[in-house]
Amino acid sequence: MTNIAEIFKIFRLMLIWLFIIFSIVWAVCWLVGIALPAILTTDNPITNVIYSTFGHSAGSENTLRMIAEVCRALTPITAVMVFIPINAMFMVLIERRALALFTLRMGPNRVGPDGYLQTAADAVKLLLKEDITPTGADAFMFTLAPIIFFAPSIFGALPLLAAATHNHSLFTIMNLPTGIFYVLAASSVPVVGIVMGGWASNNKYSLMGGLRSAAQAISYEIPLVLSIVTICLLAGTLDVVKIAEQQSGGILNWNVFGGGALTGISKIIQASFTGGDAGAIFNNYYPEGGWSIMMAGVLTACTIILFGIYLTGACAEINRIPFDLPEAESELVSGYNTEYSGIKFAIFFLAEFTNLFIVGTIATVIFLGGGDNPIPLWLLDKLGFTALNAPAAAMFAPLIDGLHFIDPTTFWAAIWVIFKTYFLIVLFAILVRGTLPRFRIDQLMAFGWKQLIPLSLTLFLLVVFARGAIHFHV
Amino acid sequence: MATETQEGFKTDEMIINMGPQHPSTHGVLRLILTLDGEVVRHAEAVVGHLHRAQEWQGQNRTWFQYQALIDRVDYLSGMFTSWAMARAAEHIDGCEVPERAEYLRVLVSEMNRISSHLLWLGTYLIDLGALYGFPFYPFVEREKLLALFEEVAGQRMMYNYIRIGGVIRDPKADWFKRLEAFTKEFPKRVDEYEAIVTENPIFLNRTKGIGILTKQVATDWGVTGPSLRASGIPLDLRRTKPYSVYPKLKFDVITYDKDGDTWDRYMARIIEMRQSNEIIKQVLDMLPQGEILSKKQNAGLRIKAGEGFAAVESPRGVLGCYIISNGSDKAVRFKWRNPSFSNLAVLAPLLHGSPIADIMAIFGSIDVIIPDVDR
Repeated sequence: MTNIAEIFKIFRLMLIWLFIIFSIVWAVCWLVGIALPAILTTDNPITNVIYSTFGHSAGSENTLRMIAEVCRALTPITAVMVFIPINAMFMVLIERRALALFTLRMGPNRVGPDGYLQTAADAVKLLLKEDITPTGADAFMFTLAPIIFFAPSIFGALPLLAAATHNHSLFTIMNLPTGIFYVLAASSVPVVGIVMGGWASNNKYSLMGGLRSAAQAISYEIPLVLSIVTICLLAGTLDVVKIAEQQSGGILNWNVFGGGALTGISKIIQASFTGGDAGAIFNNYYPEGGWSIMMAGVLTACTIILFGIYLTGACAEINRIPFDLPEAESELVSGYNTEYSGIKFAIFFLAEFTNLFIVGTIATVIFLGGGDNPIPLWLLDKLGFTALNAPAAAMFAPLIDGLHFIDPTTFWAAIWVIFKTYFLIVLFAILVRGTLPRFRIDQLMAFGWKQLIPLSLTLFLLVVFARGAIHFHV
Repeated sequence: MATETQEGFKTDEMIINMGPQHPSTHGVLRLILTLDGEVVRHAEAVVGHLHRAQEWQGQNRTWFQYQALIDRVDYLSGMFTSWAMARAAEHIDGCEVPERAEYLRVLVSEMNRISSHLLWLGTYLIDLGALYGFPFYPFVEREKLLALFEEVAGQRMMYNYIRIGGVIRDPKADWFKRLEAFTKEFPKRVDEYEAIVTENPIFLNRTKGIGILTKQVATDWGVTGPSLRASGIPLDLRRTKPYSVYPKLKFDVITYDKDGDTWDRYMARIIEMRQSNEIIKQVLDMLPQGEILSKKQNAGLRIKAGEGFAAVESPRGVLGCYIISNGSDKAVRFKWRNPSFSNLAVLAPLLHGSPIADIMAIFGSIDVIIPDVDR
């Protein structure tokens, strides 16, 4: 019952939408971060008009320079604000189409060309709906809950932006030395919004959904954080940009395969192709010979399991099936958002999909090499891609040097991050959603506390002892 | 209502009204639940939101009219309600049913049993939270059966196919061929469902050891059908009180004498689908030629005076029909014995002490159709 035509349509949809998302966000960033400041700080007709109106003095020049700086500083937040709604719209559509494919149905394919405008129509419908506050609800809290739920997905994503754009100068401002700590802290705020919404709704189903969510978030944050902490231990830093950079150089360097334990092997393979002293590399990376190799195997196994723990914890954190207990439809009607309608519901919905994207991005940056190309560069050189590089660079030279519209390293990093994130979401999150039944709340708790947490602690200890045998990121 | 006060911290039981508007009460069942945290302390099923006075309607319509109406009682297995009424009326009237018609009745009824169980399988998984994935797979096979029903009865769900005195239409040769192709394909599909569901760890967690229906409770509350047989009591009217041509067919009463939990009830239905498929195969081989209807079907359809009761084994249990006729074109009294009504009664004792998430797992596993409860 394989539906090749539908699979093709979904891939086409992904490519078109990714192109749209990418070009819009790229253009907005360029406009706000580069073009506007450049216009304001150079001598051109626009500034001349401003000077002739307000008078040309050192003071007015400084004011314009200040506005330009503010524009540059606002670029990251503008990027996120533009990205989130378009991306959520796209993800809803792709999820519905993919789920339809998995369940032998037709997805939305009527509004616009092949259903591309379906979520836009849904969004308009939600905005036009009456905004109901139920009788007896705490109106202030009821309104505040979706905001608290949504806000962290804006400010929590910012450090990841620096990692995803290969530390582009516009986004470096967002790069904190303890970036991953900040991201995790931000990602645990939304549960407050859920509990608040559940309580303020004056509905027993909502209340139960909210309380379940609190219990679930507390239980599953621990294995989630432990899995990331273990990777940070291997990387030796909490800085997301550094973690992403350390993994560059091909699929064997990625944290999901040993957190750098296989870097030596990757270097040895490179040496055997391009010429080099394999023995010296081996001694450098694996100082204790067979013991080191064994420990590299242990580390690889550990990190692969940690990746699984991260995905499980992330699913629970963002309330995806099979952990969607806070909004368990067959039990709690719709859980914490039962009473929400119109724009408030739309915000909950938007935030849920944005959170899905953010946990996908965290997984990409922490485990899957961030903006790294899975094929090592030396291999690409061998295959003759360098030859293509020069004419391409020449072709885009006006965009790169003249307008600063494209920064090639940033471009490729962003492309890879988005590509890997969507790969994770489509292949993992949607497929899981399309297959598994829901856990029961006590089973969920038992699974978290009795299995995931001991397992992640054990892996943490194993990694602590195993990492001494190998030289990392030399 | 237990109220405890420990150092100023007050805990209380919560009464929650589940239904009649609720995504998974299968229509309009209303449950009044007393919850202690997430644990059900007391449950009460309130029925009657879908009461349509089916018995009264039977007394105020002619036999011919009521025949068409009665499929709506249990809309997932309309063949069985028609069959129960037809058998009761034939018993009063004393008219002979042609042999081919009897075989066709068995054929369509077993098909109907499969289609009903397939829908149950899909909705049960929705109840367990497998909301978007698996539930649609059984519908693919069900669709094939509904297409066959549509061809032979003119409708996909409200068949009005089994009439007093036989069946209304003889299928074409091509229909039998398509049905035969279906019976060959179907066991493989059941294997597929089982591969996804039966040993799924989450499914096992959710269904094993909950909603245990002991033999004593089951007999006390008058539970019938697969739910009873999953508790280990071999009551299957097709064998224990044989009717139609069932004595000539080879099949065993399914008893699943293990725990009587929801997983066993799931398993009993899965096995029953395979069994029904085998019965269809046998009937296709044995089908004789001949007449299919012994009583003229028109508005003046009359049944002789007298009273009679007949029961059939529907997908949900023993479906009985009791009729008093005075020889006119209308019945004097109708009484239905609906399996869903008796099976639903056992819900309250089963729910006692289970968490709120198990309500749907247990309620789904006894397979109740609300119109069949309320009539």
